[in-house]
Amino acid sequence: MKVSLSWLRDYVDLPIGDPAVLADIFANLGHEVEGVETIEPQFAGVLVGKVLTVQAHPNADKVRLCSVDTGDGPTDIVCGAWNFEAGATVAVAVPGAVLGRDFTITRREIRGVVSNGMICSSKELGLGEDHDGILVLEDGLPIGTPFVDHLELPDVVFDLSITPNRPDAMSMVGLARELAAHFDMSYRTPSPDLTVTSGQIDLRVDIEDDRCRRFVAREVRGVHVRPAPLWMAQRLVKAGVRSISNIVDVSNYVMLELGQPTHAFDMDKVADSHIVVRAANPQETLVTLDGVERQLTPEDLVVADVRQGSSLAGTMGGLESEVSDTTVNVLIECASWDPPTVMRMSRRHGLRSEASARFERGVDPNLPRLAADRMAELIAAHADGTIVGGVVDNYPAPIEPLTVVLPIDEVERILGVPILSEQVTDLLGRLEFSVTGADPLTVVVPTNRPDVTRAIDLIEEVARLYGFDNFPSRVPTGGDGGLSPEQRRLRTLRLVVRGHGFSEAHTSTFTGYADLAMLGLPQGDRRLQAIEVKNPLREEESLMRTTLIPGLLQSARFNLAHGAASVGLFEIGKVFFNEDSPELGLVPDQPEVLAFVAVGSVGSADLAGFGRPVDVFTGMALWRTIVGQLGLGEYRIAQAEIAGLHPGRGGYIERQGEVVGHIGELHPSVARSFDLPGRVVVGELALGPIIADPGLWAFAEPSVFPPSEFDLSFEVAATIPAASVLAESVRACGDLLEVADVFDEFLRGETKAVGIRFRLRAGDRTLTADDVTAARERIVAAVAAAAGARLRGA
Amino acid sequence: MDELEQVADDAPGLVGAVNSLEGLKGVETELIGKNSVISRMRRGLSALDPDDRPTAGARINEVFTGVQVVIADRRRALEIAEENTLLVSDRVDVTVPNHRVTLGTEHLLTTVMDEVSDIFVSLGYRVATGPEVETAWYNFDALNTPSTHPARAESDTLYVDFGDPSDEMLLRTHTSPVQARYMQDHVPPVHVVVPGRVFRADSLDATHSPVFHQVEGLVVDTDITFADLKGTLEYFAKAFFGDGRVIKLIPHFFPFTEPSAEMHVSCFACDGSGCRVCSNSGWIELMGCGMVDPNVFEAVGYDPSAVSGFAFGMGVERLAMVRHGITHIKHFFENDLRVLGQFV
Repeated sequence: MKVSLSWLRDYVDLPIGDPAVLADIFANLGHEVEGVETIEPQFAGVLVGKVLTVQAHPNADKVRLCSVDTGDGPTDIVCGAWNFEAGATVAVAVPGAVLGRDFTITRREIRGVVSNGMICSSKELGLGEDHDGILVLEDGLPIGTPFVDHLELPDVVFDLSITPNRPDAMSMVGLARELAAHFDMSYRTPSPDLTVTSGQIDLRVDIEDDRCRRFVAREVRGVHVRPAPLWMAQRLVKAGVRSISNIVDVSNYVMLELGQPTHAFDMDKVADSHIVVRAANPQETLVTLDGVERQLTPEDLVVADVRQGSSLAGTMGGLESEVSDTTVNVLIECASWDPPTVMRMSRRHGLRSEASARFERGVDPNLPRLAADRMAELIAAHADGTIVGGVVDNYPAPIEPLTVVLPIDEVERILGVPILSEQVTDLLGRLEFSVTGADPLTVVVPTNRPDVTRAIDLIEEVARLYGFDNFPSRVPTGGDGGLSPEQRRLRTLRLVVRGHGFSEAHTSTFTGYADLAMLGLPQGDRRLQAIEVKNPLREEESLMRTTLIPGLLQSARFNLAHGAASVGLFEIGKVFFNEDSPELGLVPDQPEVLAFVAVGSVGSADLAGFGRPVDVFTGMALWRTIVGQLGLGEYRIAQAEIAGLHPGRGGYIERQGEVVGHIGELHPSVARSFDLPGRVVVGELALGPIIADPGLWAFAEPSVFPPSEFDLSFEVAATIPAASVLAESVRACGDLLEVADVFDEFLRGETKAVGIRFRLRAGDRTLTADDVTAARERIVAAVAAAAGARLRGA
Repeated sequence: MDELEQVADDAPGLVGAVNSLEGLKGVETELIGKNSVISRMRRGLSALDPDDRPTAGARINEVFTGVQVVIADRRRALEIAEENTLLVSDRVDVTVPNHRVTLGTEHLLTTVMDEVSDIFVSLGYRVATGPEVETAWYNFDALNTPSTHPARAESDTLYVDFGDPSDEMLLRTHTSPVQARYMQDHVPPVHVVVPGRVFRADSLDATHSPVFHQVEGLVVDTDITFADLKGTLEYFAKAFFGDGRVIKLIPHFFPFTEPSAEMHVSCFACDGSGCRVCSNSGWIELMGCGMVDPNVFEAVGYDPSAVSGFAFGMGVERLAMVRHGITHIKHFFENDLRVLGQFV
């Protein structure tokens, strides 16, 4: 809402005028200031003049010769505009006047006639864009006075963003009330003079839908539609509203002044002087003021005559019943509408108007009568109309002010400072809340404040006027805070993954069918059963991601396209499945996963930038480090052919027989579809089991006795995983084993050699040759039995 | 014995003239080896007169020991020289990065979320998270946002197709539903922060993204007041933007808090005098906050006459963009390594 200071001063005698201070006061009252604009006149030396005569120019067709009085008697001015005749009051730039920054008006000869200045248009004066003709002023402005005196310039315009709970603040009077409350002073509301009327209104209004809370109508007859007076038009322009005509401008003026949107109909287009407020019919259409034919639904509310709809209630008028240049009799509508109804209508039809912005917030239902009177007064004054006696006020269920009880200690309980009962009474009183009693206070809330219905709402009003700046500060602390073990382990996990050269990424939560299809997943895979977004912003974002891998692959692609040779990225985030959440029930299953992608070489490199090219072992190495650093003992890697992955270079990660993730190289065809070259390593693992708190680990006393080490090289079928040979060896070796791991593996046709290095140690003695021999024999026998392995060289 | 004395006289010179460890070996053999003068004379001792033997023997040993010491000294000197030669040839240019280890970097959004969380953890808060696909009840109804509220329109909120169509399922528009869930699961006192991802039906521009992040805070106890809100946000502003920051709270409106405020912090770049960072206002708008609305307490089963509380919520991208001068929100989601590499 744009608020000009000069207009505001009509209603409140502000003790200060400093725009910066006033802006702070608005902000501290809860009315955010989006801008403060100082408006200066764009001209100097322009006077009000009267056109005495208009004649043809002796030597030119397109301009006329005017005799104009600017206070010093008649003087000749040549003018190219044709929108006025003798008698018109105009703005005259006399010789020496300056328009714009530096256009100085001089006495000059035009086609043989001396022109003593210029009759100005709105645009030339910097008052608007209208350049169709010169600015014709209303009669009665004193001839010869400086034109600037009639413009309320310079002025300051505050651009306020009014919160959606404050219909009252969408008006000059409402904001005057706010400032008056701040300064603890009085403010003024217009009191229309309707003493002169003629006849009696003859209009029937039927409210057939209770979403119309009140309908007030007045009639003004015999109007002359013409431009509004200069001061009114200028106030509207500063408020960001275009000046149209005296009738339309009065309607807007009253809305801005009081906050009550109003509507003016051409009375002679209302059939049978009978208005019906009703729900629209299913097939009904209405052409609105903007010329658009609207398809209505019974959700819409229309103001109609007996034949057809005349306007969309509270949203926009209809074209057919609009006030036009030929309108003589005006019907004034000031109504009160159900706020959600107007909000839905304005959204449904894409019509966000000044009126709907106010009705959505909930205009005071006790305001229409004043607004109708004010509008009648102003139309009579500025359009020569005669106010018809009487008013139609259809108000089926009058809204009474609400009474709210406020126990005084509630104020301190919420705000933290003791505010006395008298002070609360004073502060609320400034906003015209009527307060009685001492404790509890009984507060009658004016109907212009539908946002105040409870004690807490009153406390907010007190806080606002008391000033947030005036509250003390205190820092409360919790007694049992801190990160959970899982949260700490999550941070460790991220550190470990980064330590392998992977940078953390955040990719979009959204994906599309095309991306999922490129993964090469089998039909029925749960990752293909993605949850759909009902109102996606883009087709590619129409699904909730079921895997982080496509997003990471796209990020990898982005980096390669921007010159990177290698990419290592990981992300920890939620994926979403079309199944109920096991923990939360109603919402979908949305577990967190760790995923990574590697292209090129990741982690370490030589001088030339060459590192170990990534392959499946890059991913497995990361996994082994995670297992080691986070103490995940019981996991197993199970080689498998996994859809979308290289058939021979991928495996599941299993925990107690359950698959918790997979790591492998992307199938070359999948890599190609993501436009990624070479081997592409991916992995995706459930986060929960990784970060789950394993509890305290038990200390193992290091042995003081020396170890015994030996290597065994087994020959097994090529299909037997080294991990199986190792696992069997470990099981067979028994308690003396300190550590064992595969140190060598190579294929020889149908068989392969697996070398395992063992280190044995006892906690209580030095091992003997017999101990070692016995262990060796146990291992060899067990591996032979379990995996058909033969000891090489034996 | 003259021979022996000759050896004793010559040995230092002979040994000193040797310039390699192999040469030293030869000289050693020559001087104290099996066929050396000293060894021969030792073997010849028995042929001497028994009375002369002790004197002669002692002299032989004396010469032998002397020669040994000379050789050992020379060996040490040669070893040092040899190693020094080796070290010279082993010299490298240590300024050449022959081996590089590249660690990955933490994403700035994670850094900021952790940092904000840790500030509140230091005040004794816990960190909670919750579902991103959420019911309309938790996202709106429990937070005193009526079914007619414009924020619930499809132009603002993304809805998903899941489960019973009557249970409106949406992408949470703020981290606040976790407030409601946390209160349902815990009795007061509550001190909790909630970092997480949120969603709006906003098209991407420099400062808006349909996917972004927030950190929410909630404190509920029997004696929490507006002063606690103010003090806590002052503490946060100083902790995150540095000592000397001051805040102002401007009245605002949110459905889930009453009174509500917008928190502004004095600009860390210009100290409030006005600069590009703060659009010349001296202040940076940072978050929304307020006292928890009694309707929210009732929705989650708390007694609003027995407890009070405050809540606040801030945009993580905004915090990061303001503090680090990041020009476009896309930089958080493109995962450009040239950008990620700066987040260290």
